[in-house]
Order: sequence, then structure tokens, then C-alpha cells
Amino acid sequence: MSTKGIARLFQRPPRFLCPSVSRQFVRTLKSIHPGKNSSRFNHGHNLPILGSSHTAAFLRKEPMLPLRTGALAIKKGMTGVYDPETCRRVPCTVLQLDRCQVISHKRRDTHGYWAVQVGSGTKEARNVSRPERGHFAAQEVPLKEHVVEFRVKDEEGLPGVGSIITADLFKEGQFVDTRAVTRGMGFAGGMKRWGFSGQPASHGTSLTHRAMGSAGPSQGSGSRVLPGKKMAGRMGGEMHTVQNLKVVKVDAENGIVVVHGAVPGPKNSMVKIQDAIKKPWPEVDAAVGLMMPEGMPTRLAAEV
Amino acid sequence: MATPSRSLRPLGPLKQALRRCRAERQQQRRHASTEALYPSLQPRYPPPSPGFRPSQAIKQNRFEEGMRKIPVIPPPRSTIKACRDPIQAVTQSQLTVLDPNGARTRLFAPSNPDRAQPGDILHVRLRNGEPFSGVCLSIRQRHQPIDTAILLRNQLTRIGVEMWFKVYSPNVEAIEVVQRKEKRARRANLYYMRQSRHDVGSVEGVVRGWLRQKSGGNVRVKGRDANSSKKKNNKRGRN
Repeated sequence: MSTKGIARLFQRPPRFLCPSVSRQFVRTLKSIHPGKNSSRFNHGHNLPILGSSHTAAFLRKEPMLPLRTGALAIKKGMTGVYDPETCRRVPCTVLQLDRCQVISHKRRDTHGYWAVQVGSGTKEARNVSRPERGHFAAQEVPLKEHVVEFRVKDEEGLPGVGSIITADLFKEGQFVDTRAVTRGMGFAGGMKRWGFSGQPASHGTSLTHRAMGSAGPSQGSGSRVLPGKKMAGRMGGEMHTVQNLKVVKVDAENGIVVVHGAVPGPKNSMVKIQDAIKKPWPEVDAAVGLMMPEGMPTRLAAEV
Repeated sequence: MATPSRSLRPLGPLKQALRRCRAERQQQRRHASTEALYPSLQPRYPPPSPGFRPSQAIKQNRFEEGMRKIPVIPPPRSTIKACRDPIQAVTQSQLTVLDPNGARTRLFAPSNPDRAQPGDILHVRLRNGEPFSGVCLSIRQRHQPIDTAILLRNQLTRIGVEMWFKVYSPNVEAIEVVQRKEKRARRANLYYMRQSRHDVGSVEGVVRGWLRQKSGGNVRVKGRDANSSKKKNNKRGRN
């Protein structure tokens, strides 16, 4: 027997030293070579990642995630801007940033993903609960009215905690994605909610002009309504994304970002703006649009 | 039911008397000690001292006495306070470029008595394209001054033509008043002029005369108003 085999023999203490371990009287092949994975469940380090797992979802989304943080803005309304070259008027939405600040980070090792927590506006201390105030105080940032997260690709996309995000984060001419909660329409019928055609106004139609119609086939197809069938119900009041809006104008002094086209939601509602994921990333410096307030200890992302 | 005889129940009346006594005592207690039964009716606190201010007291007592204080960092400078109306700011920055001397704003400003009004014949010169002139049917002022637009109506080759022009569009080089309406129109939108009996027809003659006068040629006045030429047109049997 080689020295390796002897070492393996004496890995476990002799049986007489641990009498609680039941002695096997019949020596089988299994007892001579105990398997590495004794569990009957299929888990381990080298197994392929399951498609429905968190890890798989992260890896799937990772190549599409923006490289840098976005900004939280208030929708102020719409107006028109004339392009001096083409002489065309383009409809625009005016968004304003208000005390938009980085509050904390979400880290891959701790939280499972990379994200920047951004707050905007301000709130009186007496209107904020103690746990929330504790969160802000721990990060040494002022209280915020609205708090959202912006997913970023990696650690380089995390700006220093406390840095103020200004409007010049976005460059004129670049494309952005805007996300906001749409106007609540209340309980809406199928025609309004899903664009169903309804029924004809005449030709014998009686009292059924805006009905949904059939909800599905009958016997032979299961005699049931398939899950996810479009029906009447609550419409609006949910997060909606409008992609690829061009940034027409940026005014860092007043925190104004003007984007081409419409943005979901009513006036004075919160809008998330981030670089468009379906366009090439804008070529900008990493520090642009991020201002560290005076008197604030400069903390790098790695220290937090 | 027969009443039981006295000899059978000697303590009967005594029991009845005791019961009445108890009921009376309970009733008395109920009336006498209302306050003892209902503590909510009693004043909970002693009356306030003379210098007592409720608002002060609320403020002091409301906020977490005896708990560790959580520091609150003051918020940074607000851009909302710096710029209350960002749409106005965007519009103004546009107007300084599109209308540097304010001529277009003045031409349609409600404060200007010589402003262009519906019914006037206007001449619009374009940067790229033929100039257009016609009777102003409507002046549309939407949410922002930048969206001001005019609707001009004319006849080209005996066909009615209407054109919208954005007043501040860089494509519009100039807007000039050729002829004013004699009497102020009593409608904001003169859509009735689309009807054949109100249609002024072509304003080409008026505009040509105005252009000649502008360039210093001899003045040939055909009619005082755009409406005065209407009759002639009618006589030609167009209507």
C-alpha cells in the first residue's frame, strides 16, 4: 500500500475510539470507497445553472444593463422646441431634477446585484420614520422624498455615496429610456384597455356595442378561459417604460432635461431617466453629472 | 294560581322587603355616583397653567423623548426653487434665439393695439418656399407662446387654400400686415368665411397693390377692404 493509501486509512479515527458510530460487519464496496457526494440530491459546485434561478436571471440581464446610473426627475409638462437646422418643431417633455442624490449602493456580493440607490426631493424629519432616518443617517445623506434604484452593470458604475446627480449627466443628442407610473384610468372596458373592436353600431346589434365578445372557444378546447385572457379591469397606474427618447436640451443650472416626445404619467410625477439600452452608450466622462457636495467626506465606492 | 297560605311560608314578606331594599340601594348608587362609574367623564389632567401654549406643548411632546437622536443632514440646494417654471425657462431660451428683437411676439401680443387680428390680410414670407398671403381666419395660442400659429385663407387658381403657419418657426422669415379689417371681427375664429357667401375670394390683387406700393410704385387702390372686392367676384357669376 502506498503512503497515500495509508494516509487515507488513518483519516478517520479507529472505530474503538468512537463507539457511537455503528460498526459495519459486512464489508461492501461502498464502505471501502465512500462516495464524495453522499447526498441523494443533485447539488454541488459544478452543476449547470438552472434557467429559472436568480443567477441565470442576473447573467441574462447583465449584458443589457447600463454602465452608469440614471437620474430621478419630475415631469413638468410638454412644450415644443424648434430645430434651427431642419426648421421643424419637435414635441418635448420638460423634466426637472430636484436634489437628486446617491443614497447607497446595492452590491453583487451582499445584495445579489449592482445598483445605485438614488433619492430625490426632501422631506421633513418628523414625517420620516425612525428606521428610514437611520438608513439615511448611516449613509450620511439628507432625507429624501422619493427613493429608487438604478441597475448598473458592474462596480465601476457606482458613484460615491452622497454625490449630487445634476442634469448634465445626460448629453444633448443622446438617447434615454424613461420609466414612470402611468395615469390611473380606473376600471376600463376591453375596448379602451386592450383596443378590442367592439361590435357594430347597427345591423341588428342590440345593446351590445362595446362588449368584450367571447372569452374563448367552448367544448373541445377545454371549455375554460385561458390564463392571461385580456379582459376589462383596472387600467393604468403601473410602471411603464418609453425607450429611446432623444435628449433635446440640458440645463444643469436649473436641473432641466428636455426629452423628445411624451413620457408616461401626469405632471409633477416622478420619472426615472437612464441611458437607452438599445442605443450605443454615450461617450462621456465617468465623473460628469456627479457633484460631491462641499463638506462631505469623499468616500469611494470600494470603501462603502 | 292560588296564593300560598301564610302559615306555610312565614318568611315570604321578609324576602320581598329585602329585595325591594336591594333594588332601591342600587338605584340610589346609580344616581349618586355617576362619576365613579364613568371615569371618562372626569377631568383627566389638572387645568393648564396661565402661560400654557398648546401648540408649543404638542411640538415638544410629540417627538421621541428619551430616544437616541438620529442626526439629519441638511438637504442640498434645490433646483426647483431656483427655477419654479422650467417650461417657461425653456420657452424663453427658445424665444431669445427665434425672436431676438421681439417683433413676432409684439405682432400677436394682446397688449399691442396694432396687433394682427382675425380678418386681417397677412403676408408670410418663408425661408424656403413661395411666400403666402391670405385672410387670417384664426390665431391659435396654445399652452406656450412658442406654439402660436395663424391660419391664412386664400384662393389659388380659384380653389380655396388654407395654410397654418407657426409664428416662431425659423422657416417663417417675416409676417406682414397687408390690410386690416375695417371693423374688428366679432369672432375669434372666422370659420364662417369658408362658406361661399362669406368667402372673400382671392386676395392676390390687394397683396399685389401693397407690394407695388411698398417698392415705391404708383398706388392703385382697388378696394378699401378685402370684402369690397367680394361683390365684383359675385357679379362674375362665380357663386
